Amino acid sequence: MGFLAPLWLLAGVAAAVPLLIHLMRRRAGARIEFPAVRYLLRAEREHSRDLRLRNLLLMLLRVAAVLLITLAAAHPIIRMAGGGHARTALAVVLDNSLSTSAVEGGRPVLQRLQARAREVLRRASSTDRVWLVTADGVVHGGSRDAVLDAAAHTEPFGGAGDLRAATARAATLVRAAALPARELVVLTDGQATSWRDPLTLDDLPLHAWLPSAPAPANHAVVAVRAIPARWTPRGAVRARLLASDSATYRITLEGRTLARGIAARDEEILLRAEPPERGWSEGTVELEPDELRADDVRHFAVWIGPAPAVSLHPLAGPFAHSALDALVQSGRASIGNEIAFAPADEATKLPALLIAPADPVKLGAANRALERLGIAWRFGAAMRGESVARAADSTRALEGVTVSSRFALTRAAGAERTDTLATAGGAPWIVSGPRYVIIASPLAPPATTFPLHASFVPWLDDMLSQHLSGEGGIPREVAPGEQLARPANADALELPQGGETTLSGDSLTAPARAGTYFFLRGTTRVGALVVNAQPAESELARLTPQALAVKLGTRSANVLTDSAALSASVLTAAPQRPLLAPLLVIAAMILLAETLITAPSRKKVV
Amino acid sequence: MDTARATRADLLDPATIAALGRIEVTARWIVDGFLSGLHRSPRKGFSVEFAEHRPYQAGDEPRHVDWKLAARADRWAVKQYEEETNLRATIVLDVSRSMAWSGAAARLTKLAYAERLTAAIALLFLRQRDAVGLVRFDDIVRSSVPPRVRTGQWVRLVAALEEPGAGRASHAANALEAAGRLIARRGMVVLISDLLMDADAVVATVRGLRHAGHQVVVMHVLDPAELDLPQSNEALFVDPESGVEVAATVADVRAMYRATVRDAIAEWRRSFTAYGASYEPVITDAPFGVALRRAFSARQEAP
Repeated sequence: MGFLAPLWLLAGVAAAVPLLIHLMRRRAGARIEFPAVRYLLRAEREHSRDLRLRNLLLMLLRVAAVLLITLAAAHPIIRMAGGGHARTALAVVLDNSLSTSAVEGGRPVLQRLQARAREVLRRASSTDRVWLVTADGVVHGGSRDAVLDAAAHTEPFGGAGDLRAATARAATLVRAAALPARELVVLTDGQATSWRDPLTLDDLPLHAWLPSAPAPANHAVVAVRAIPARWTPRGAVRARLLASDSATYRITLEGRTLARGIAARDEEILLRAEPPERGWSEGTVELEPDELRADDVRHFAVWIGPAPAVSLHPLAGPFAHSALDALVQSGRASIGNEIAFAPADEATKLPALLIAPADPVKLGAANRALERLGIAWRFGAAMRGESVARAADSTRALEGVTVSSRFALTRAAGAERTDTLATAGGAPWIVSGPRYVIIASPLAPPATTFPLHASFVPWLDDMLSQHLSGEGGIPREVAPGEQLARPANADALELPQGGETTLSGDSLTAPARAGTYFFLRGTTRVGALVVNAQPAESELARLTPQALAVKLGTRSANVLTDSAALSASVLTAAPQRPLLAPLLVIAAMILLAETLITAPSRKKVV
Repeated sequence: MDTARATRADLLDPATIAALGRIEVTARWIVDGFLSGLHRSPRKGFSVEFAEHRPYQAGDEPRHVDWKLAARADRWAVKQYEEETNLRATIVLDVSRSMAWSGAAARLTKLAYAERLTAAIALLFLRQRDAVGLVRFDDIVRSSVPPRVRTGQWVRLVAALEEPGAGRASHAANALEAAGRLIARRGMVVLISDLLMDADAVVATVRGLRHAGHQVVVMHVLDPAELDLPQSNEALFVDPESGVEVAATVADVRAMYRATVRDAIAEWRRSFTAYGASYEPVITDAPFGVALRRAFSARQEAP
């Protein structure tokens, strides 16, 4: 028996009142002159036994009435055996994360989880409320049959999803339902990486099921990246495998095999390539199929174009000339008219790598050139004094570079988006914007040590090939279902299987299937979205039932590995009946009996 | 009909009629009202020894009309004779302390009620040419007025009613014996008391009176609160005469008390009627006419 308002039970101390009255009776009262005392004495003498019994009965009736009323005020409910189960809010959390697509015993784990879900849901009656919540955050509600159908047609998700969030969501659903019983069922493969942090579900009744067998061995491609993000046209593919032993891999680009090989355990794969493809391309790193097929392939995207053709202005200086020569000789750049490399005062077109003029007299001409090219930045006062250059990102490319002479860079408000690539003395020193990079010092040793530094040539290569050549953008790498901002220049997403989907709004949700998706502007690829499962999803190690119970964070977690035991455990709450009305009726009957006993007789004396 | 009933003093609330005047005044109203309600003359049994005239009343036999007087004085009168007025009655009134009690402030005490009833009965009897006497008692006989029929007797009786009493006990047996002695020949004794006394002596005396040929009428005066206990919860009940105290919870003992009173009344009735005495409980909130009718009925049955 339970109570909906148990605090009212405290009022049960009122039952002591009739008891005290019974014990203290005749100890107080008025003094009344009454001539017929002899009749009173005679009545008490003749009926003393009846009086004692009557008083005892009255006391018991009054105590019982007070107790019953206080009991009724506490709104007791009692579970009645038989007659099915209590009306229950039941939420089934079905783990459809990538790991559940692993094949065990000839069929995917997800199929076993779906079978458990159907067994549980079939026990529900039409008066119950049922939901199915999957790891990818999808909630199915409605009739039992509709939820059963949803359970049967649940597809494996391409990533890890968020099983903890799904469970918390399911708990919120059952708690919000105004039904006498609430139950939560979690069906999972017990993957340890899905349950890193414990939940807090308090006392919500929870049943969980996970496979009793240990997880199968798994190898996977857990990381792959094109280096650099833009190939001009040379680049490399770097991949990392998860394998207990050596594994045979294949690297493809646009379906063409770039390389095959065998990687030793924990060996990093690095493939250099100079493919003929141009523009945005997709590639994969694949392993031999195993029990979990989904993580045997990992996708990457890369923009491939020709080496940037650079026109170097004679006033750019000897150091710029030497560095560009080195890039041309190594095939990373060519001489041409695609990118201008010149002092700012000599710039006439974009894209351009602009350096500050050596002569301050040319500062006005430089600023006019910048304005003419639509660049927001302007050169300001000459700043002298040695300061250390610091790169804005985490690269160490400018470590040790000092700046002795520079011009202050100021930026007009409301102009296009710009980035500060390096600072000197806390002020912008190298800045970039759409199709331009500006260095606020001449490339000469009196102004800066940068052109003498070893990092100068690689930096120049990076600027020419990654910032200034071809279309902008680098591939976006996300997990399935992840939210991301929509690129401003994209209006559609090209699907791997063909076709496209229109984009709208400021954000989009990454597709559930792994693969390479290209952002389109019209019919032109303007970027790439690479969807791969989280690397942790390939770690199939399972929690023990005891460990899972701890992670579920409820005092009444019932973690099982036996399907029959699961079916027998759920929806067993006996139907609850409120006892308010019966208790009040009994109390009323007792009070009526008390009234009848104490009521004066209507029989006339005379 | 209703108006007539409403103006009859014998049917009014006892406390209301008592508030209107002294005993002798209110008793007259009560008796007048009572007599106006009778359908026939109460008189019967005429003899030859003329005593006096009285005005003719509807129902009187024509043969008793004094035709000579009617012819001479042009008024109708009937002759009354000494012999038919010869019933000698003595009213024995309990004036003990227990009688001086009322269960409610708006009600007459049992004694006040009994005094007015005594006055009314006496007047009724006297109007019928019966000799009426009075014995007042508590633990002793407080006063005694021998039965007489002559004019002024009722005044003496009323004066006697105003004498003090209220002793701490009731000994009706002595008073009844004294009443018996006051009646030389067969007569009528009317005991008006709350009977809060030992029954044996009273019953034995009544039996003696009956053996002596007297008619005995017992009017058991009861306050309504004595039938049903006063309205109270826990209380200490004190007997004003004996000082005996009893603590009781009214709600608990009320039903049993009522049964006990009912049994006591039944025992009194059984005891008195066993010897041919008449017994009537008289409740102090009942109109005087009720008790008066019972006394009158007993008078009609008297020898």
